Amino acid sequence: MSEWIAVFKRGLLIDNPLTVLMIGLCATLAVSTKVEGALFMGLAVIFVMTASSVLISTMRRFVPELVRIPVFIVVIASFVTIVDLTMHAFLPDIYTFLGVWIPLIVVNCLILGRAEAFAYHNPPRLVSADGLGMGLGFAVVIVVLAFIREFVGSGEIVFMGTRLIAMPSWYRGPGVVMLFPGAFLVFGFLVAAMTALNRRLAARKVEPIPGCTLDEGGPS
Amino acid sequence: MDRVASTPAKMVLAVLVTCAVSATALTLTYEMTRGRIAEQQRAAEERALKSVLSSAEEFEALDDGLLEDAQEAAGEVQVFGLWVGRDATGGPQGFAVRCAPRGYGGPMQLVVGLDRDGKVSGVSIITQNETPGLGTKIMTDAWFLEQFVGWDGTSIDTASKEFDSISGATKSAVGVRKGVIVAGHVYADVLAGIEVPEGGGGQ
Repeated sequence: MSEWIAVFKRGLLIDNPLTVLMIGLCATLAVSTKVEGALFMGLAVIFVMTASSVLISTMRRFVPELVRIPVFIVVIASFVTIVDLTMHAFLPDIYTFLGVWIPLIVVNCLILGRAEAFAYHNPPRLVSADGLGMGLGFAVVIVVLAFIREFVGSGEIVFMGTRLIAMPSWYRGPGVVMLFPGAFLVFGFLVAAMTALNRRLAARKVEPIPGCTLDEGGPS
Repeated sequence: MDRVASTPAKMVLAVLVTCAVSATALTLTYEMTRGRIAEQQRAAEERALKSVLSSAEEFEALDDGLLEDAQEAAGEVQVFGLWVGRDATGGPQGFAVRCAPRGYGGPMQLVVGLDRDGKVSGVSIITQNETPGLGTKIMTDAWFLEQFVGWDGTSIDTASKEFDSISGATKSAVGVRKGVIVAGHVYADVLAGIEVPEGGGGQ
């Protein structure tokens, strides 16, 4: 169990997919203008990430090495399409907001990268920890990023049609925060904060991480 | 690790089985969500139609021949639908045009309502992908869509000179204006000339 938790925590902190590995950034910068949209994007990624990694891990002995990539893609694309159709049917407003970024989860290198580096070589139990941890690490960062951008840029947070908090009415936010350059700026500060946090954690004793026999490299 | 070898037969089998399972799962999901998705889209369109031509109770889609003529009048902006709106007794109240001019974040789906004389009676945005907080002011600033009400479809190029844009959202605002101009052209070139039957109590 401690092994499971160690793998799970890694996705959240030391190997956070967004602020440390820096993969899957494209969708993150694009949809982090609204907390509502970012939250559902995060949930979609957690689901696709966990479900596809566990399935790939379960069938890893029956998938010959040479055709593993096509099989991964089919598995991931199927889960993404399921999310896409379900969101379209039940959350039409959020589906419209996320637009093309839902189908684009298929090519998010975070998911394919974890399938290749971790899920294909480890048992489903550990893989579920990795999928959930990485997915949650992604979701938390994208929601925090969206919170800062929506609050600073538009002066209020609107969630499912209700206004949660708002700046005083005289407040006029810097519009650039809502645009792509603003996304990079805010993201840069987040990376700095996260690096500082990870440094502090690393100063304490870190136990070796199970399941990591391979050097998993940096961004793919 | 004791993984199956990459022989041609096993590779084909692995991919085939994966694809078959995936296709089955997707068919099931599609069947389960299809009805709701169609319903959502119909409901959104219906709401938009009602809001742009409030005097009408029912909307009857015009036939495809007219839609082709309308597309010709609209030029590069795509026209997706034409309706005639009728009140409870079946009397024609005006028209609605659905088109998709380009905004900042791709095409925006608009419905423009025109009364029988070709005056714009309302504009509604069904879907858009504009920058939240900036481009979305075309929806959240109420005065913006209201300014189009009353524009004369038969002389839309003159009417559209009286246009207030939104600073910081020029491309989105001008996109909506383009949609209204297109609807005016469609009215002037196509809708104004057709005979609308008085109708026998809404069909």
